[in-house]
Amino acid sequence: MKDKKKVRINKYLFLSVFSICVGIFIWWLVTDGLGIFRSNALPSPVKVAESFVKKWYETKPDGATLLQHLGASLQVALGGYVIGAVVGIPLGIFMAWNDKVDMCVRPVFDLVRTIPGIAWTSVMVTLVGIGFMSKALVIFISAMVAMVINSYSGIKQTKTVHLWVGQTFGASNWELLTKVAIPSALPMIFTGLDVALGSAWTTLVAAELLASTKGLGFMIQQARGIFRLDIVIVGMIVIAVTGAILSSVIQFIGRKLIKGGRS
Amino acid sequence: MGEKQKRVFFGAIGIFVFLCIWYVATALTALGTVMPDPITVFTGFFTAFVEPIGTHSMTMHILISLRRMLVPYIAGGVLGVLVGILMGWYRVADAILMPYIQMIRPIPPIAWIPLSIVWFGFSEGSKYFLIFLACFFTIALTTYNGVHSVDETLVRAARMLGAKDNQLFTSIVLPTTVPYIFSGLQVALGSAWATIVAAEMIRSSEGVGWLIISGQETGDMTQIMVGIVAIALTGLLITSIMRGVESKLCAWTVRGK
Repeated sequence: MKDKKKVRINKYLFLSVFSICVGIFIWWLVTDGLGIFRSNALPSPVKVAESFVKKWYETKPDGATLLQHLGASLQVALGGYVIGAVVGIPLGIFMAWNDKVDMCVRPVFDLVRTIPGIAWTSVMVTLVGIGFMSKALVIFISAMVAMVINSYSGIKQTKTVHLWVGQTFGASNWELLTKVAIPSALPMIFTGLDVALGSAWTTLVAAELLASTKGLGFMIQQARGIFRLDIVIVGMIVIAVTGAILSSVIQFIGRKLIKGGRS
Repeated sequence: MGEKQKRVFFGAIGIFVFLCIWYVATALTALGTVMPDPITVFTGFFTAFVEPIGTHSMTMHILISLRRMLVPYIAGGVLGVLVGILMGWYRVADAILMPYIQMIRPIPPIAWIPLSIVWFGFSEGSKYFLIFLACFFTIALTTYNGVHSVDETLVRAARMLGAKDNQLFTSIVLPTTVPYIFSGLQVALGSAWATIVAAEMIRSSEGVGWLIISGQETGDMTQIMVGIVAIALTGLLITSIMRGVESKLCAWTVRGK
């Protein structure tokens, strides 16, 4: 019985691998194989793989290697993200814990959160100019909003029974917050860290497309201008993989830190 | 004061305080030299409805952006739901399509902008393509998760009582999946709105994103802020409409909570 199940799973795994291979083969066929698409409309998988390897040590055509672009992007994204988290988590907790503050700040916050982070780019560029600061500020805003929303709802979801138990045993307001509410909000806070990271990374790419002189977004925008679509696709792959790695790192830390399940 | 009046009262105070801080900050500090005060911004916003910015009035800018967003949103939604159900229900479809979805989904829709420009030019097509990408994967995956969350015992019970596949689908799978579909639609709506703003900022000659970027190009901070206000209010409007539709159509899950 168990063996049968294993065979079936292997069959589906085989099907997935086969599906990917067919996909890549079709991609190759319409580009290099039959030449339906020229490389300035859709580069072949071979060319993309070649550029991917070359871009690690070659600075052409945009003046920096892949590693330098990646480093520049990570620096900005993580800088803005960390400050966003440091400000956002306490702010969300504070908003959720204090009823009056909640009622005053909530409507303002609900308005601000509907503004996509990227829309702030123009404001920041006008205020501080193109560079590290404007991008970091834009990312700070978009990461902070996600952090506030999640830590806020984490605290709000604290079970009232747990709070009552705490009160019965004579816990002060501060103890209720730090010993009951915050620990039970931790899973949500980590969801927030993950969501915020995703939105920080996306916003960064957008900001780099718009106003930048280095970074992955800048690289793909430059490559697009000279129809080097192989580099564009390499950039997209690096953006996707980096985003996925960052998100799994956060999830890994979350799993290590949070003891006990939800519910 | 009832709970609701209290909420409105404190909410009004909050917004008022926010506007006051904004006003004072621009009136008294150096920020005022680059940043317009709230009164200028809101008058600018309302006069834009009668006096056109660029070639269109504010109503047209908002409608153009909304049309750009809604057409591919609906297409992506319909296709996403179909593909999601297909993958959720048939293991073969799952095995074939899932690797592609898992590979393409981590790419932010915005990162497709350079490619979409090359493939579709600066036409509406490139924007439709981006929004479609932004919606399709999210909705397909949430629908897929919805189909997978169907209670196995219910399916077996129905099978035992002689339900056919289509009965099984309409009376068990669909009702379980609909709330998931709606949460997917909700998330996709937000990311579609953010994507269209970004796409318009990078390439377009009208729409709310263009308002911001042309403000930046001419150094007109008021126009940037007017654009941001338009984006915030329209975003708020569409998400509340969506939430209203959801609470009407998924009344049973809301009540069930």
